[in-house]
Amino acid sequence: MSYPVLKGAAYALIQGNDLALYQGSTAAGERYTNPDSEFLKELPAHWRSFEAAVAYPPNQAYIGNIHPRALREIPRPWYENGLPDAKTEGKYGTIASEDILYGLMKAVDTFDLVLLDETFLAPLKEKIAALPGLSQWKCLEKLDKNPADLAAITEQVEQQHAEPLYFAQQLIGCVKRAHEYDAALTAHVLTENLVAKASASFALQQLLNKCELKAEQVDYIIECSEEACGDMNQRGGGNFAKSIGEICGCINASGSDTRSFCAGPAHALVEAAALVQSGIYENVVVLAGGASAKLGLNSRDHVKKGLPMLEDMLGAFAIHISVDDGVSPLIRTDVVGRHKIGSGASPQAVMQAIVAAPLDAAGLKIADIDMFSAEMQNPEITEPAGAGDVPTANFKMIGALGVMRGEFERSQLPSVVERIGMPGFAPTQGHIPSGVPFLGHCREMMLAGEIHRAMIIGKGSLFLGRLTNLFDGISFVVEANPGKKAAAESLDGLTKTRVGLVVLGSEHPVCELVHGAEQAAAADPRLDVVLIGCGDSGMLHGVEAADADAALKKMDEMLASGELDAAVAMHYAFPLGVSTVGRVVTPAFGRKLYIANTTGTSATERTAALVRNAISGIACAKASGHPQPTVGLLNLDGARQAERILRQLAENGYEIHFAESSRADGGAVMRGNDLLRGVPDVMVTDSLTGNVLIKLFSAYSSGGSYEALGDGYGPGVGEKYGKVINIISRASGAPVISGAIAFAAEAARGGLPKLAAAEFAAAKAAGLDALLDSLAAKPQGTAQETVAAPPEKVVDEEITGIEVFAIEDAVQLLWKNGVYAAAGMGCTGPVVMVAREDHQRALQLLKEGEYL
Amino acid sequence: MDLGNQQRIKDLCDQYGNEDLIVVLGGAEAEASGLAAETVATGDPTFAGPLAGVPLGLKAYHMFELKDEVDPAVYDEQVGMMEMVLDVDAIKAEVETYRAQ
Repeated sequence: MSYPVLKGAAYALIQGNDLALYQGSTAAGERYTNPDSEFLKELPAHWRSFEAAVAYPPNQAYIGNIHPRALREIPRPWYENGLPDAKTEGKYGTIASEDILYGLMKAVDTFDLVLLDETFLAPLKEKIAALPGLSQWKCLEKLDKNPADLAAITEQVEQQHAEPLYFAQQLIGCVKRAHEYDAALTAHVLTENLVAKASASFALQQLLNKCELKAEQVDYIIECSEEACGDMNQRGGGNFAKSIGEICGCINASGSDTRSFCAGPAHALVEAAALVQSGIYENVVVLAGGASAKLGLNSRDHVKKGLPMLEDMLGAFAIHISVDDGVSPLIRTDVVGRHKIGSGASPQAVMQAIVAAPLDAAGLKIADIDMFSAEMQNPEITEPAGAGDVPTANFKMIGALGVMRGEFERSQLPSVVERIGMPGFAPTQGHIPSGVPFLGHCREMMLAGEIHRAMIIGKGSLFLGRLTNLFDGISFVVEANPGKKAAAESLDGLTKTRVGLVVLGSEHPVCELVHGAEQAAAADPRLDVVLIGCGDSGMLHGVEAADADAALKKMDEMLASGELDAAVAMHYAFPLGVSTVGRVVTPAFGRKLYIANTTGTSATERTAALVRNAISGIACAKASGHPQPTVGLLNLDGARQAERILRQLAENGYEIHFAESSRADGGAVMRGNDLLRGVPDVMVTDSLTGNVLIKLFSAYSSGGSYEALGDGYGPGVGEKYGKVINIISRASGAPVISGAIAFAAEAARGGLPKLAAAEFAAAKAAGLDALLDSLAAKPQGTAQETVAAPPEKVVDEEITGIEVFAIEDAVQLLWKNGVYAAAGMGCTGPVVMVAREDHQRALQLLKEGEYL
Repeated sequence: MDLGNQQRIKDLCDQYGNEDLIVVLGGAEAEASGLAAETVATGDPTFAGPLAGVPLGLKAYHMFELKDEVDPAVYDEQVGMMEMVLDVDAIKAEVETYRAQ
């Protein structure tokens, strides 16, 4: 099975100031109830010039000249911060003025209903024919037919119920009614339909201009606006789709219209994907034009608050769905969410149905989706009207859903919203903002490898049609195309493992680290490596950071939000009880050997630490695919005692496989020979010795300044430690970095945190705690009583220089004095971590307590 | 406030009187919720709908204010997520203003 792809996306915006004043439902309603209203008189004073509309940053985002996320950097109000070099032509589309629209309406009008004053039309003809691709429109010849003058137009408007068309408040044309009394063919209805047809045809032409598709290749068109065309016997008979395809020369296409209020486009895209995947059609275009009724919809509030009339843009789009080309992003037709008739209407029932349910069915989490696009209305338009920031509300709801599902902590909500979202940038044209405006950017981000998956969401308020109070919503997932080679793998449901590498703080130049990261990514197509602390490399995505500390903070955030599955760093303050398990290549036979442990402190008592290191080492080896790793203890102080406890655990039912020394006397206690030969899978040692061993094994030929072999100091492992963070050193070279990334990915895929928890639980069930308690007296601390911790704070300052056996007592002393602190392991030894504001006081207290 | 809803509330008030009738709001935003509360209390301030100049004198409560009146399981299922998303305090404060008037 292969998925259909998002092959192209194009967009158009057309200004409609006079349309807002005469055809927009807000102004038209006002004119009906209160023809002399002050609001109607005042509205034109709030119009923007065409140039201002072009420079408006959200409009530039809509046609692809800036990324929607760039709006985060542009101060509000955006209408006061127009882009200086804004162009009408964008990467995905174009912005046109209102006079062009009137010309297009006349060109696409098959029934000679549109009359334009010849003096208005004459200069327009050339302007329209000069627009990219439009010279191919056969229908442009209509501009020369059926000429009219102002007198004829006035007569039509005043005597024949024609809909007047104004430009700069001057009457320049009209749309005639098509029937004497048929309510479906009134001049007003026909005007709306011709606006929708003209703007959608214009968007389709943008698609043909900017993408690979040729008009005659289009097999099928699905139109998904919110208009209805027909006569009194079939008010919504259709078919906008074919009428639009006809304009652009899609002679081989058929088509039909799909409706579901604002959710229409998402429904239509799912249908298009199904038609392509089933093999019925190869090239399907989903498109929609703009809605004149919605122009100036909230203009009453905008006028009241002194804003420009921001709803002056008709929106239109055309999206090409085609067969897998091995490049374009896939439409995951197996991850489609739908609001069912029985789903319920509360916001969380809706989000459950359209976001959570399809992800669950596909074995994905919210964290597996890099970005969401739902209802991308520009907040600058909706906020003054009391409708709030709609996109942000949606991203918050998705985040909150993640909290309710236990995927995130509530405190992570802001960072999740930032990661998955973007500011709204689409005009409030109902179906236009509904998920689809992001598809152009989404396609480009996926082609550039910046995001892997996005969910597109359409939602619709069906009650407006007065047939049902049901809600509607539909979603689908777009995923980066793994390419033809990897396609088979990806379709089996394999997901990529995302590993971040902090590139700042090394003794080597940044390019050495990037080189290592690229080696790891090239070796494993299921790996996404993100560089933290520099920009994009030719192959990998980068996240900038000011310095090494900022990069570590960024790494922590990305791990917390689920953006990363694992990370590799040169330094990390693990809490007490967490230590790293390294991996080296042993020189005798090239066997890989896990060294447990290499940094960090698993316990303050030496023997207990050795026992815990053995368990961590077993968990780590298992995560990397050794179901029954063998364990040996390096012949160090305490090894015999640790072996006794491990053997006791084994007798009590904890599964452990002891290695046999290669020396004649055998046993599980290992000597130098066993190290060189890599006899056990896991070599248990204390962390200072382990640290020296890693250095020896990885840099014995370079004098230590360049670590060339092995997979680094390994992931932090602890009984209750939930992250996968692998440590390398500042001397680690590209081969070690590549190995460390692969090692981290193995640990993440193998579920190291869960495996470690399970190993410790099994050891506890075999009496671990009692056996460790039976060891020699507790470390010589001074604190006798246990103090309750003050309220938890973010600890970002390290205090070094405290003896490891006194570290817990030092923390207790600070707690007793109301300072929140946590013990941890820094790169040079144990540390006490406190909040920045408590740093000085903590130092003083520790000095007074003679810990420093 | 939606003109159709204004009419429905007006009809209900005509039918049952304003003594035993309260309006429960589910608005997502403080200003709009306050506007709805104001509309059913003192009339449509925008003078656009059937309640323009019609002070029904109804008390409006936002759903967030009625948390203690509802089965916690039902509340959690129906409102729990939005409680995390919306500015609950601002909405409550705004709606309460119009009951106090």
